[in-house]
Parts: sequence; C-alpha cells; structure tokens
Amino acid sequence: MKVTRRDLLVWSAGAAAGLLVTPVPWKLLDDTSIWSQNWPWIPQPTRGPVEVKQSSCTLCPNGCGMKVKMAAGWPVGLAGVSSHPISRGALCPLGFGAHQLNWHPQRLRTVRHRAAPSTWSEARAAFAKACSEGPVVIIDGYPGRASSSVLETFAQKRGGSYRVVLGSETRALAPYETWSGVPTSALGYDLENAQTIVSFGAPLLDGWGTPGRFTRLWVERAAGSASPQLRLIQVEATFSRTAARSWQWVPVRSGAESALAGGVARVLLEEHLVSARGPMPPLTLAEAANQTGLSADAIRELARTIVARPPLVAIATDNNPAIAALNVLLGAVGTRGGIVRRSKHAEKYVSADAVIPSARAVLIDASVPWDFVAPTDAEVFRFAAWDGGSSKADWLLPAPGFLEELTDVPTAPTSALETYAVAPGLVKPSAEVQNAAQLLASIDSTLTTPEEIIHARCADLFRGRSGTVHSQEVTPVATFASVQKLEEQLWKGAVWVGEAPHPASLRCEPQEWPASAAAVPSDTWSTTWPAPVLPSLATKLYRESSLREAPEKRLA
Amino acid sequence: MSRNALVFGFGLAVALVAGWVVFPRLLYVQKQQPLEFQHKTHAEKSGVADCNECHAIREDGAFAGIPAMEKCAACHSERIGESKAEATLVDSFIKPGHETPWLVYARQPANVWFSHAIHVKRASLACTECHSTYGESDQLRVYQVNRISGYSRDIWGYSISRLRRAPHEGMKMSDCEDCHRRHNIEVGCLACHE
Repeated sequence: MKVTRRDLLVWSAGAAAGLLVTPVPWKLLDDTSIWSQNWPWIPQPTRGPVEVKQSSCTLCPNGCGMKVKMAAGWPVGLAGVSSHPISRGALCPLGFGAHQLNWHPQRLRTVRHRAAPSTWSEARAAFAKACSEGPVVIIDGYPGRASSSVLETFAQKRGGSYRVVLGSETRALAPYETWSGVPTSALGYDLENAQTIVSFGAPLLDGWGTPGRFTRLWVERAAGSASPQLRLIQVEATFSRTAARSWQWVPVRSGAESALAGGVARVLLEEHLVSARGPMPPLTLAEAANQTGLSADAIRELARTIVARPPLVAIATDNNPAIAALNVLLGAVGTRGGIVRRSKHAEKYVSADAVIPSARAVLIDASVPWDFVAPTDAEVFRFAAWDGGSSKADWLLPAPGFLEELTDVPTAPTSALETYAVAPGLVKPSAEVQNAAQLLASIDSTLTTPEEIIHARCADLFRGRSGTVHSQEVTPVATFASVQKLEEQLWKGAVWVGEAPHPASLRCEPQEWPASAAAVPSDTWSTTWPAPVLPSLATKLYRESSLREAPEKRLA
Repeated sequence: MSRNALVFGFGLAVALVAGWVVFPRLLYVQKQQPLEFQHKTHAEKSGVADCNECHAIREDGAFAGIPAMEKCAACHSERIGESKAEATLVDSFIKPGHETPWLVYARQPANVWFSHAIHVKRASLACTECHSTYGESDQLRVYQVNRISGYSRDIWGYSISRLRRAPHEGMKMSDCEDCHRRHNIEVGCLACHE
C-alpha cells in the first residue's frame, strides 16, 4: 500500500484532533507559563528558616512600624505593625515594596567622581582635604537621629554649619516657631482629640503625615457617617481622594487658600464667633470671595461650620502664615485637639534652603531628597543609595540601602506625642557602602558613633522613667528593671511613647495679619520623600493611580 | 469505511495513546529519596501518634517542615539495626552533621506563602486533607518532578487530566481557591502572595 501525501495530511489532522482531547496542550501551556516565571536568572529568595522581625521604616521621617519577613536572613516581605502607636498597622505603597529597593538596577554601588568611577579612598582624601582648607556645610534630611548628631558635631568642630531639609509638613509649623519661639521639631498636631479638621489642601487621606494615623482616625470616627464625630473639611482646588471622602469639600481657586483663611478670619471676628482676639485681615470679604471663587455667603457659612464643633484645627500644606494665624484665632494653638508642644527640649534647625555662606565643601546625607540641589558653588559630596540621575554633586557616594544600617527613629514630624524607636541593620550591607557618619568618623576618630549615641539615648529614657514602651503589650518605662531590658525591647522593634503633651505650654500672638503666602502643591507619599527610584510594587501603583502628583506639578 | 477515515482514525488513536500514556511518562522524571523512611514504623516504635510531634508548628506560627537532623539524631546517633538506609543515615548525615536533602512532595513555589498554623490550628484541618494518609505509609513514594516547571507532581496531582482526583490530590492555586470556596472563606491575593 502506497502512502500518499494525502494520507499524511489526513493522519496529521487525526493526530491533531486527538491531541486536543489529551492533556498535552493544556498541561504544556500550564507548565511553560510556570517555567517562564522560574528562569534561572530570576532572583529567588534562598530556602531557609522564615522568621518575622519587627522594626521601623526608615525611608522617611514618619518611622512607621514594620514587620519584616526574613527567609534565610533576607527580607522577602514587609507589613505594618498593628500595635504601633502612630502608624497603627499601615504602610505607604513605597514602604510595602521597600525591600526590593536594594536590588534596584539604579542602586548606587560604587563611588563616582563627576560621573567617572572612583574609590572610597579617593573620596575620603578629597573630603579630608576640603575640610582642612575651609568650612564644611553638612545637610541632613532626617534630623534628630543619632547619625544626625554625628553630622552636627563634626560640622561644629570644623567651624562649618549643619543644615536640614525639612518636609512640607514640618515647614507648615514654621509660623508657630516664629511667633512662639518653640522650634518646629517640638510641635505636632493633636488630631486624635480634634472634632473638626480643616485641611487647606493637605492630602490627609493620601499620604499626609504618618500613613495610617489619620486614615485610622477617619475610619473610626468619620467614614460613611452623615454626622461624623470627626468632621473633615477639605479646602482644595481639585476633587482629590481626600476631598472625595471628606465631610465637606470646599472647592476654591488654586492658590487662594490664604485668601480663604483671611475671609474666614474676618467673618469670625466680625460676627464674634470666637472668643480669642487677633489681628483683622486686611482683605475684605468681597475680595476674599473674588479671589477664592466662593460667594461671600459661602465663606460666612464655612466660618460658622468650622466653629460649630470644637476642638478644631486647620492644617496647611506648607509654610502658610495666614492659615497659622487662622489657627491662632480659632484657639487651636496650644490647646487640646490643636497644635501642641510635644516636647520641652528641641533643637532649632537652620534650613538648607537659606543661602550657604562661603564653604569649601558641602556634604549631603543620604536622607536628603534626591531633588534637593544645594545652592552653592562648593565641592559637593552626596551620599545616596540610589542614583536618580541629573545629580549636580561632584562626588556620589554609595550609602547603605533599606535595612542595611543601624539607625534610630525619632518622633515623626506631625506627631503629637514624642516617640523613639530603633531600626537595627537587618541585612548585611555590601562592602562598598558607607554612610556619612562612617566617612566622618574615618576623618575624625574622636566622634561618638551612632551606636554609642543610641545606647546613651536609651539610657536617658530609662533614667527619665516616664512614658511607655509599645510592643505586643504596653509597658511603662518605670517597670523596666534595667536599661538593658529597655534597650533589648527597642532593638526588637518596640516603640517608646512619651507622656501626653501639656497643651498650655505653647502660646502664639501674631501682631498683624500675615501677608498672603504663595500656593504650594500638596504632598503625597510619593512627593514627601521624592525617591530617585521606586520599587516595582510602588511603580505599578504609581502608574495606575494617575493622581500621584499635585496638578500643578503635572502641568509643569 | 473509507481509506481516509481509517487513516484519520489511526492518527487520532496514536495521538490519544501518546497524550494519555506516553506524555505523562515523559513529562515527569522519577527521583529516589536520599533515604528510605517508614512513617509507619516510626509511629509504632516511638509511640508518636500526632504528625505535629515531628512536623511541628513553632510558637510564632511558622511551620518547621521536615524535622531537622538533630531530631533524627536523638534516636539515631548510633546505628539502630543493620539496614543500608540506617548506615547511610548515620554515616552520611548524622555523624558529619549534614541535613538530609529530602525531596519535598508538597513544596510550594517561592512566591507562595502558605500558613500551616492558620489551616491546622485556626481552621482545624486534618493533615490528611491535603497530605492523604502518607503518614501511615511504610515506604516513601517515588518523587516525581516536572521536567518543564520543576515542580513536584503532587502540585498538579497524579491524575494527568485532573479529573476524578482524590480529595487530597493537587495543590495548585485553583485547588486552594476551590477549598476556600467550599468553606466560604474569602482571602485576597496578598494573603498568599505577599
């Protein structure tokens, strides 16, 4: 029997039909899809014992409580700590994927001098030479840490200056520092005791302050209720996520927040809606209405609504003295539920934005946001864990990545309570990285190390005998038998929380109504700490959200 | 019957035999465990009645998996009996202090977080619901690994069609979802894929 071409085709058709009713195509499809996820060059966590360690996030100064799942000694997952007194189980999207940052392709792994590869010894020699030739300015983006103390001490010893880059949330407290003399680092918002919060563009439900702090409050006391215990009034030009969830959205023209604050203040004074006296805004109600796009009646109604349910507080997105003056008029400064002084002792910082005097060199710590450019012609030494590109620094120095160094976590900028935590280095850093304190110690061996400062701070807390330590349970400091026991708890991720603030210890009396401040775009989790790179999880969310930047920035 | 029908039927038959009989044999590679192990003998001789006594769940809720060598060494620090497996265990693993490289039938991929503590302690699932009665076996099964995916055959299940499977067969994501649906327990993606 002769096999023809037709036979082969018919046989093939039969075989193809048969294969479709076997597991072959379906099983191969499943297996190849799995195979494509497990190519040998795709990094896989090492098989090994899985353990969960508790620590604090160090990406930004909010210091959220963080559970780190470690497999064979490597972090493979991050989650919030529900017992954390401030963040209460929440993390921002950046924080959830932060353990991936250490493997980011833009991780800075070698020293670079004007874009060319260099070495640590050359960088050290150049910085030591600069220190011997003139004053050095050191810029810190996360003041209050033990390593910040090292930077400040070095700058002082060398006749230089120590400056800080403050976040917008801290800058929003600057007018109170001007009027009361109390540094912004000692001030916070007592949101937990407020009944009405008027946010002038602050993205309270989208990354403002410590993630979780306000969102939890809102869920417990405001969400879904027509007559909530906590009234959130959102003054904002766009219908943002916070505006969409607020009790009342007040749409004003972009940049007219100061005018609205002035208009509300005028109504409060003219109608005697507040007991406090303060300077009358020069702006008439008609002018305020004209600038904000609201009617005069709407501003009057807003003023009456704001004072209807005290305690209340107004929150600005940045340094806006008009909103601060409104808070003074509303009696929200130095009172329960308002702006409070959380600590007696605090340091007053010089802003890095001020003109830098003649300096031989500027050293920028890795905590300084990547987009900060020092206003100087001096030689710039910039520490960074990731290379965000377009740096104007002469020297790029690779810093430890996430969880790669020991640091302490001082009080978050907006917190009404003093807190202190320790974030130990959970991951072994690469030999090529150093932080700024280590570089300075290699030049000046008399400097105290961050670890010694952390020990001293723990000892101070123990001697103070006040406050409580929050881990799975809350333990008063006074019950700790030794400083070692207290320190052990803090190193395991517990958080020390100070006593509740005494509201009356803050007084502000502005003599005249401040001039209007320029509008500033509101910050979200992605702009408060402008990371040079994002982990893949955050990048995905970032791309899908479309609202990650304030409209002004998007238009630019 | 026409010639075309015969040829078509022949092609169909060859494909069916290849797909249902030959393909599964080619797809999976059979591997022997590094040691013989008898669950039944251990249960009888040591009086261990509960899986948890060896495959423990730690205090923090993590599953310890296969017992570490030190657990075996508690009884087998010296040879017990004359079998070849006993000699291998003591001489090749216990005395040099090496962990036994067991081939784990139920090992899930690295992107899955499965909590034994939640399933066993909170949901009170019996071990046999997923692992059958292997704990009563007197020899270890041959370990079969998929040539393409690298996964154990237990993940797909021994029925290549996944039809008429025993309740404990299969550990794919769809099996987890089916079980959760049956028990009316909803979980999000991040519960397992953190």
